[in-house]
Amino acid sequence: MSDGEIVVSHLAKQYRAVRAVDDLSFAVEPGRVTGFLGPNGAGKTTTLRMLLNLVTPSAGTATIGGQRYADLTDPLRRVGAVLEASSAHRARTGRNHLRAIGAAAGFPARRADQVLELVGLTPAARRKFKGYSMGMRQRLGIAAAMLGDPGVLILDEPANGLDPEGIRWMRDLLKRLADEGRTVLVSSHLLSEMQLLADDVLIIAKGKLVTHGSVSDVVDGRAHAGPVRVRTPQAEQLTAALGSAATVTTGEDGALLVSGVDAPAVGAAALRAGVELHELVAEKPDLERVFLDLTAGKADIR
Amino acid sequence: MTVTAPVDPLASPDLGRPGPAPIRLIRSEFLKLRTTNGWWLFLLGALLMLVLAILFNWLQADFAFSEGIPQDIPEDDADTFEASRSPIFQAANLYTSGQFFGLMFVMLVGIVIVTSEFQHQTATTTFLTTPHRTAVILAKLCVAALFGATLWLVSLAINVPATIGILSIYDQSSLLGEWPAQRAILLNLLAYALWGVLGVGLGVLIRSQIAATVTATVLYLIGTTAVTILVTLLQDWLGWEWIDEVQYAVPSVASTLMVSGTSLPGQPPYWVGAVILVGWAVVTGTIGTMITRRRDVS
Ligand SMILES: Nc1ncnc2c1ncn2[C@@H]1O[C@H](COP(=O)(O)OP(=O)(O)OP(=O)(O)O)[C@@H](O)[C@H]1O
Ligand SMILES: [Mg+2]
Repeated sequence: MSDGEIVVSHLAKQYRAVRAVDDLSFAVEPGRVTGFLGPNGAGKTTTLRMLLNLVTPSAGTATIGGQRYADLTDPLRRVGAVLEASSAHRARTGRNHLRAIGAAAGFPARRADQVLELVGLTPAARRKFKGYSMGMRQRLGIAAAMLGDPGVLILDEPANGLDPEGIRWMRDLLKRLADEGRTVLVSSHLLSEMQLLADDVLIIAKGKLVTHGSVSDVVDGRAHAGPVRVRTPQAEQLTAALGSAATVTTGEDGALLVSGVDAPAVGAAALRAGVELHELVAEKPDLERVFLDLTAGKADIR
Repeated sequence: MTVTAPVDPLASPDLGRPGPAPIRLIRSEFLKLRTTNGWWLFLLGALLMLVLAILFNWLQADFAFSEGIPQDIPEDDADTFEASRSPIFQAANLYTSGQFFGLMFVMLVGIVIVTSEFQHQTATTTFLTTPHRTAVILAKLCVAALFGATLWLVSLAINVPATIGILSIYDQSSLLGEWPAQRAILLNLLAYALWGVLGVGLGVLIRSQIAATVTATVLYLIGTTAVTILVTLLQDWLGWEWIDEVQYAVPSVASTLMVSGTSLPGQPPYWVGAVILVGWAVVTGTIGTMITRRRDVS
């Protein structure tokens, strides 16, 4: 068992009327960024909180490197976490917030300044938390998670409130951390961002696992032909040349959307019929499309 | 001009070796208390009340040391009055000036130490750093008790010269060499420490900062007087003598009892107050710890 492998096994949490997490099992590998996706109320936050010993599971287990979080001797040196509601005392400065955490974990005081530098908060280090913008708060949370230089990172919607520059910065940081062999598990609703960032995706809905795999497998696995977009001045001839296997619709911008045949077949048909083409694109389904398909009907607020 | 290479914070930082966990936790909790402005507001409030308390106790001493017993008081009260005229009773009272409000502020600090974790949603971070929740609560108990001890020390530094000065006005010696006075001062330290523990326990029970502080303050200020009045009334109406003892179960009354220099007639001995207060602290501390261990943090 690797030091940084996260294993969730038959995990469940029952809140009065809601089964927030329901017999959930998965394993998250080190050296990769794993995107943790699911509609609102799917149970992502609850799962992460159970993994971190903040919420007691109704059933099942969750371990990091084979140990429960509660049993880790130096948890901050092993695991860094940024949770949804991670916060600091309003009247405390960012630096003092980090120093108080570091003191409990036994880190030297200078470590607080190092992680502030890492997240670009040095200029605001001695300002009170109540004066921080949303993005600065997120950065402080990431700084706290990085205090112990952990091999495992768990982040719940860390991109919330970050500006485009900040999102890009975080993407680079998380990718780099995964490249160094760390485990990175990150929940998000920003699917296009996830497509750029994640190596693997883990999708849950209504507390249950929907799919888990590499982004390319999950997306291409559903690539039973997205439509092919074609632009031509001779729409009727092309439609006739494609024959009955293809369904052709006209898109809003005047382009034709051909489904049932792939792009090479469309090109070949056009060449045979002597039809002039201005554009020929195989539209790949993206993560968003796949996510919406997979969670259709399972996204109601519970 | 010197050019320093930018440090790469990700390049395996030197995190040092962690010290013993209890020390780390207490340092962290102390840092948390010190880096907010709550504590010095409470300290300031306590000092202000201390000055008023010294003046009030001086008045009492003046009354006690002045000649003669007033004619019109009933015999029972006359005994009490006579006992309160003993110099050692007055000395103990003066050396422990400011206790009533001091204890309240210590309790409030204990409450704030816990409830601010929920108020500012820092409990998540705290328990991520230390999943062993009992250790976190124990560290908070220690810091609250230490704050109490500090306030006791500050009060003592003011009370000792003030008391010696006041006693000398009435041609009394300082009485600092007398065991009952020393005992009162030491047990006062115990009271200050234990009220920190009570505050932490209360904070766990009532997680809302505003609800916890208001409830505790009201109970402390009004509850103490209300119980005393109620007991007196019941005693007069029903003639139950034993009910008089019930009021000593109230923590603040027990605290006053435990620092009295001499027992007044009809009063239980000082150590009963100490036992009752320790009991309260143990009960609230234990319940608080047990609740914190089980509760989901979300
Ligand atoms: N403390 C709680 N008490 C009762 N129900 C809860 C509690 N926490 C979560 N739930 C319920 O459990 C379900 C899962 O919530 P959770 O916060 O885990 O979802 P999520 O996937 O993180 O959603 P989001 O994307 O909106 O953050 C929801 O139906 C929620 O109402
Ligand atoms: Mg969530």
